[in-house]
Amino acid sequence: MPDIRPVLYVTGYLLLILAAAMLLPMSLDLVRSQGEWPAFLASAMTGAFVGLALINGNRPGGEFHLRTREAFLLTILGWLTCCLLGALPFAFGSQHLRAASAIFESVSGLTTTGATVLSGLDHAPRAILLWRALLNWLGGVGIIITAVTMLPILRIGGMQMFRMESSDKTEKVKPRISQVGWHMLGVYALFTLFLWGGLLIAGMSPFDALCHAMSSISTGGFSTSDQSLGRYGDGARWVCVLGMIVGGATFSLFIAPWRRGHWAILRDSQIRWYLMTMAFFSLLLTFWNWAVRDMGAYDALRSSTFNVVAVLTTTGFHTNDYDSWGGFAEIVFFMMAFVGGCTGSTAGGIKIFRYEVLFAMVRKHARKLLHPTGVFVVSFNEMAVNDVVMRSVLSFVMFYFFSFAGLSVALTMTGLDAMTSLSASAAAMGNVGPGLGPLIGPGGTYAPLSDAAKWLLSGGMLLGRLEVATFLVQLTPGFWRE
Amino acid sequence: MQDLRPIFVVSGWVLTLLAAAMAIPAVVDAVHADPNWRIFAASAGVSALLGLLLIAANRTRGKIDLSTRQMFLLTVAGWLSAAVAGSLPFAFSGLHLSAADAFFEAVSGVTATGSTVLRGLDHLPPGILLWRALLQWLGGAGFLVVSVLVLPNLSVGGMQLFRLESSATLADRVMGRAVKVARGLLLVYLLFTLLLTLLYWAAGMSRFPALLHAMSTISCGGFSTMDASIGSWRKPAIDWVALGGMVVAGAPFVIWLQLGQRRWRQALGNPQLRWYLGLLLLSMLAIGLWMLLTHGIKPLPAIRHGAFVAASVMTGTGFATLDWGSWDGLPVAVLFFLSFVGGCAGSTAGGLKIFRLQILYTSAQVQLTRLLRPNSVLVPSYEKKPVDSDVRESVLGFLFVYTLSFAVLSMLLGMVGLDFMSAITAAGSALANLGPGLTAATGPMAGYAPQPDAVKWLLSLAMLLGRLEIFTVLVLFIPDFWKH
Repeated sequence: MPDIRPVLYVTGYLLLILAAAMLLPMSLDLVRSQGEWPAFLASAMTGAFVGLALINGNRPGGEFHLRTREAFLLTILGWLTCCLLGALPFAFGSQHLRAASAIFESVSGLTTTGATVLSGLDHAPRAILLWRALLNWLGGVGIIITAVTMLPILRIGGMQMFRMESSDKTEKVKPRISQVGWHMLGVYALFTLFLWGGLLIAGMSPFDALCHAMSSISTGGFSTSDQSLGRYGDGARWVCVLGMIVGGATFSLFIAPWRRGHWAILRDSQIRWYLMTMAFFSLLLTFWNWAVRDMGAYDALRSSTFNVVAVLTTTGFHTNDYDSWGGFAEIVFFMMAFVGGCTGSTAGGIKIFRYEVLFAMVRKHARKLLHPTGVFVVSFNEMAVNDVVMRSVLSFVMFYFFSFAGLSVALTMTGLDAMTSLSASAAAMGNVGPGLGPLIGPGGTYAPLSDAAKWLLSGGMLLGRLEVATFLVQLTPGFWRE
Repeated sequence: MQDLRPIFVVSGWVLTLLAAAMAIPAVVDAVHADPNWRIFAASAGVSALLGLLLIAANRTRGKIDLSTRQMFLLTVAGWLSAAVAGSLPFAFSGLHLSAADAFFEAVSGVTATGSTVLRGLDHLPPGILLWRALLQWLGGAGFLVVSVLVLPNLSVGGMQLFRLESSATLADRVMGRAVKVARGLLLVYLLFTLLLTLLYWAAGMSRFPALLHAMSTISCGGFSTMDASIGSWRKPAIDWVALGGMVVAGAPFVIWLQLGQRRWRQALGNPQLRWYLGLLLLSMLAIGLWMLLTHGIKPLPAIRHGAFVAASVMTGTGFATLDWGSWDGLPVAVLFFLSFVGGCAGSTAGGLKIFRLQILYTSAQVQLTRLLRPNSVLVPSYEKKPVDSDVRESVLGFLFVYTLSFAVLSMLLGMVGLDFMSAITAAGSALANLGPGLTAATGPMAGYAPQPDAVKWLLSLAMLLGRLEIFTVLVLFIPDFWKH
């Protein structure tokens, strides 16, 4: 049985942070007086109360250590409680969302998915819009911290390849956060500011620019308009493309220059493949739109690049209703939801690194077929990938696909058609956001779905965000024994 | 560079064999006084001539000792030449089929897939119908032999698990016990064909369609003599016979040999069998229940139709009692994923195969335990034997390549004009050698005739890839393969 007290203690702090964040939209609303502030005040107080209670009730005496099991439990519990708290303003405020919808919106925000049940965003109260962007932004912070500190220790999905070189030896959570976490947060904040500036220059209003800066660096995808980026001009779109690409890249590489004195980012094979994948699919769809659908060349390039980057980095912005680009485009967008960004970024999906390992393994198998007695090594970034890493990558991919299949079948049971279910399931697991089809495609919302479907999708988003196995391991009887 | 002569010799034998097989529909047509017999006679002549030429020109003295690379080439060349020879009667016939159509139909036959471009089957001359069934039957038999003699020795996608003995040289292995097993399996195959013919006949089919359906049931093929497939008889008894036949055809054939030798425990304890039947039962119930709840039909017919569809899709047969292409929602999702699962290794079914999922499952189970106890030493096992990392990697590599081929194929199908659901279900279906897709345009009642030629070429390629377990074809494209 894992020791639950330190877990609750840390969870308390997380709730406090989130409650503090609620004060921002509240103050905004007090200035603009759109009547949302009581909801945020009430939610913040609830969060602060529960958080303080958890902290005081479980304060450990002296130093405490998180063992593997507690780390698993903390990861899940931390995300779950934050999602619950984040849902309160949607339920209490003028939106009056039902439990399923409010939690869906909050989960979608914190997991940086970007699927929404709200429509009429252009006229929605500013406080709500800011809160959604904040959820994206904080979710991005959360996943970077989780990816840097927790997942490598938990050995989920081959993440042990990414134990930071400098802190290779330490298994403890706290030193890792203090060593690496702050640098990464600094970079994250800095990029947000840059993006804000860029979007301002491109002609967005300060508020819209801030919201979009936050939701593009976190690859979240909440927008302040129903048309998403379709409402804004060329400049804003290209700035967002840049922001999404940065958001989907491995963050630790950005701090490498001053931590290690060389530009690791230029030599990282994952980044290289990430950019090549994006370029390939952008050009493919550009060509399709130009040659088959008679778009102008620049127009095709602009809309294809934007939407491809939005889906590959699992952001979920859109500028066009790409659902109407025909069967080929739909299939490409569906498949891209399974790719995702780089490890250690805010992007979701299976991630480029794992595909590199899979391809390397296929190459090995094919060579082995020709030379049955040969010895071949799978390598990543010029390092040999050992057996253990390979196995965890493979089981990750397997868990991912099985969850996808299970979720799609479950969604059809709520009465959805096959295309909606398959694409919703893929979009939720990959934290992309919009699916395909008239209901949930770009431009649609998840509002018409039944409550059961919303609960299922909320589960799917969390499952995808926490790399599936984090969940599954808690379902094994061994986890709770001893 | 490889010595290509043995490969040409074997292709020659395949062509000659098919030429001999063409004599059967020729005789049938001649007996029915149908002028179509000339088509078969001509096709037989062409392929026999070509085959004998190949054999004569490339014959080598002494025993043929094949290298691994030659085995790969040979498997691919064998299937390709069968497809080409098999398409001759379609091309020469008066059915006005284009090259793409004829090739598609023949590939669909020899890979035991069962997608068709022919409409109005009910009025076709008996020779053509017989030829389609024969192609599937021979294709199924060929696959059985290959999956015992060739694939295990080539270690394709974890098939080395089914290696029967481990002698030093390839030739020894091929000539040993494996040949005996292969012969036994073919006997079982033949006996079941006869049994199914009798059962179909007893259930109310006339003799000719009974034989043809028996051939395409046991091979998991799915060609029928009617446009409405099995459903056109509207007899529950026939549905049940077909259902039973499909379940048998997707199960490992070796269990029947073991039953014959009274090794009961070994036969019933077959590791794939339990998962296969379990999964099958589960999806049968799911679809049966769905039919019961949404179609408002009585429980027994609902279960019958549900079970039939599940078995037909899982084993990659593609028979239909009703148009499941026009469904949407739950059954489409279930059937779509089920088509990826496929039947057991050592059967005539296609798909990923049950044993690969089992290997995947045990590896994942071990992985989960290892997450909690990072230093524990655990080894995944299959059939109570540890699975070494080579097998594991080849299984997983196979699964990945399969999924990847599916993704690329569906994109290409989308590019040539299919809509989202049609493209992904047709791609999954062709790779699994199932046949029909899960939409109205590609479903079991639609056929692929109205689709553009590009779709047919792509699907033909996919069927061959799926049947040859992808890697067999893929290695030919490694530059290393052709170097020495």
